[in-house]
Amino acid sequence: MAGSIPECGKGEAVLKPRFPLVVVLAIIVLALVLPFLLPWTYDQIDWDAVRAPAFSGAHIFGTDEIGRDRLARLAAGTRITLMVAIAAALVSLVVGIAWGATAGWIGGRVDEAMMRIVDGLYALPFMFIVILLMVVFGRSILLVFVGIGLVEWLTMARVVRGQVMALKQRPFILAAEAAGTPSRMIMLRHMLPNIAGVALAYLMLTVPQVVMVESFLSFLGLGVQEPLTSLGILVKEGADDMDMTPLGLALPGGLLVMLLVCLTIEGERLRDRFS
Amino acid sequence: MSLYEIRNMAVTISGQRLVEDVSLTVEAGQCTALIGASGSGKSLTCLTPFGLTRGVAMGSMVLDGIDLGSADAARTREARCRITGFIFQQPLTALTPHLTVGAQLQEATMQAGAARPSVRELVRQLERVGLYRADERLDQFPHRLSGGERQRVMIAAAIAHDPKLLVADEPTSALDASLRAEIMGLLDQLRAEEGLGLLLVSHDLASVEGHADQLVVMDKGRVVERGPASKLLSDAREDYTRRLIAATPRLQEVAPKLSRPGEILLETRGLGVTFDRPGWRRGKIQALADASLIIRQRESLAIVGGSGSGKSTIGRGIAGIGPVTEGKILWRGTMLPERRQRSLDMRRLIQPVFQDPVASLDPQWRVEDIVVEPLRNLRPGLTTAEYQEMARVALTDVDLAEEFLARWPTSLSGGQAQRVAIARAIIASPQLLVLDEATSALDPLVGAGILELLLRLQSENGLSLLFITHDIAAARRLCHRIAVMEDGRIVETGAMQEVIDHPAHPATQKLISAS
Repeated sequence: MAGSIPECGKGEAVLKPRFPLVVVLAIIVLALVLPFLLPWTYDQIDWDAVRAPAFSGAHIFGTDEIGRDRLARLAAGTRITLMVAIAAALVSLVVGIAWGATAGWIGGRVDEAMMRIVDGLYALPFMFIVILLMVVFGRSILLVFVGIGLVEWLTMARVVRGQVMALKQRPFILAAEAAGTPSRMIMLRHMLPNIAGVALAYLMLTVPQVVMVESFLSFLGLGVQEPLTSLGILVKEGADDMDMTPLGLALPGGLLVMLLVCLTIEGERLRDRFS
Repeated sequence: MSLYEIRNMAVTISGQRLVEDVSLTVEAGQCTALIGASGSGKSLTCLTPFGLTRGVAMGSMVLDGIDLGSADAARTREARCRITGFIFQQPLTALTPHLTVGAQLQEATMQAGAARPSVRELVRQLERVGLYRADERLDQFPHRLSGGERQRVMIAAAIAHDPKLLVADEPTSALDASLRAEIMGLLDQLRAEEGLGLLLVSHDLASVEGHADQLVVMDKGRVVERGPASKLLSDAREDYTRRLIAATPRLQEVAPKLSRPGEILLETRGLGVTFDRPGWRRGKIQALADASLIIRQRESLAIVGGSGSGKSTIGRGIAGIGPVTEGKILWRGTMLPERRQRSLDMRRLIQPVFQDPVASLDPQWRVEDIVVEPLRNLRPGLTTAEYQEMARVALTDVDLAEEFLARWPTSLSGGQAQRVAIARAIIASPQLLVLDEATSALDPLVGAGILELLLRLQSENGLSLLFITHDIAAARRLCHRIAVMEDGRIVETGAMQEVIDHPAHPATQKLISAS
């Protein structure tokens, strides 16, 4: 029988230094710490060094076309991007688990109706709606949250519903029911701990998706407003000026790609482990 | 010369020796059965010489003149695909889901180098394994077939290229008792007609009895005892073999001493369950119809039937963990309400135990919390120390040491996990246990231990048991009365021995002749 074959090589994956995770953590730490170390803030203009090249004087990566320190802006942009991403992912986690677990637990018609709502929301042209919201209500970081949050919880809800439906038929849930455990407690103490792993893995996968969406909105000029910045805005500014100073595009662009790739790799690794 | 002979074989996986010093022979037209508990290395023994596991086999393994131990890859491959056919345990997963039965058979025939078979040839192959309307079957996909039919297709594919040796790894374990007898009969017939040698792997002595010529008993990677089946069964020399034989339930064994039943505890009248088919308005499925039965105090009632006969549905309905759509359940004459309306006190009276012991324990909880869970709900207000003491007593009741309280479910064996599940069921002193195939997933020795435990709990605590099973011989060790089910209906009830001696309904007769 397959069960009699001992699993080997399980320890290897754990011991390997995980490069993607290290990169993600390094980026986060730098984004948090750098603003305190640099003599410049992200919106401070150094009149003496407009368009300074890299490694000239006090500006390590030079300054942009109006004399703001590139490194300081990079750190500030990363912070905003990550903040939006993590906040939106957390919102999607809470809403997704609540919606998905309710639908899966109740089942039947209620489940059908709730999941059709999810399907309907999936079908909405989400970019179009965000742009409309921006036009009507003006640009604000709150709207970016709302727009992103509207979409990102859908996948989480589907995943959690599937998990809950599978768990619901497991004997230990039936035994808990026979033992008189109230539904609320079964949900909290049996269901949630058992879906936490999978939900966490999808949370990790949601973060890079949100980073992507936020950068895209900012690139279109629909995200956060100057002088605040995000990776998307930095990429756009760099792109406008790329024939003069390629570094202005390469720095935020490279950072964005690295962040996305590393987050996705880590997220998928977690997902494979739990499913 | 024997068709297949293994001498002093060892199997290692990444340096670990898992099987040692195994010798066995298979003669043409005869059956050699390899018997052992899970983890005894019996599958490794029969599959590794053909390169079908991750293990490495060393020693002498001669199949029809080819030494698999020293042959190069090409010769081994030839031995595997021309001379040998394989049957595996799970008929659904062993068939490729997106290929029709005909396509699979065609592939099986051609892999040994034969020409593309004609439709008539394929039909003949299916008829050879006793499948009716074979020409229709050819165009069907595996999911359209029942478990028994799938296993027949598997056998047809395994013998499509006319092999000399058939290796069957638990071919009947996933089937219910009557199908099991049919498939074993088919294998016997093929051996007689085609002179096939059969190497059979099973954990269940009962299912190979009467079919195997040679028995090889394995334990912990070693051969405990081997010899002709008739001699081994009647006169086993090793203690392990003797215990295994004693643990395997038989219909002919001496009737067990059972406690005397008291007054009527639970009665169902015209119980029925219908399920909605999934989706909007797709109609209903009648899983249980007009089921009436009685359970007395200190009595064990067996509900026996094939898969899909509704025996689990009735158990769940009574235990209040599944729906009931018609009829009444009476507890000492008073009506029990529908599942979610039952008061805590009513829930305490009836507790379930399930088939898969590992799945019935929450992997995120420690054994102590699992065992105490019913108490916290059904008898609230005690102190933590009192709960702990009661959990300790419950574990002692099921013969587990106190140190198990701190363990996690994943570190338990199947038998230990099932004992924990029983401890959880009895801790709040219920009066009726609903045991849904509680011993079916366990090895015979472990299962027999659980049956003994249940007998003891019944005589000590006056428990009533509802023992749901497909194994009539196991039920006989425990139960006073029996109810036989088929297609959602109870077709026969009566005292255990009487029903076994004089079965009235065809379904009962089939079940008994299969045991």
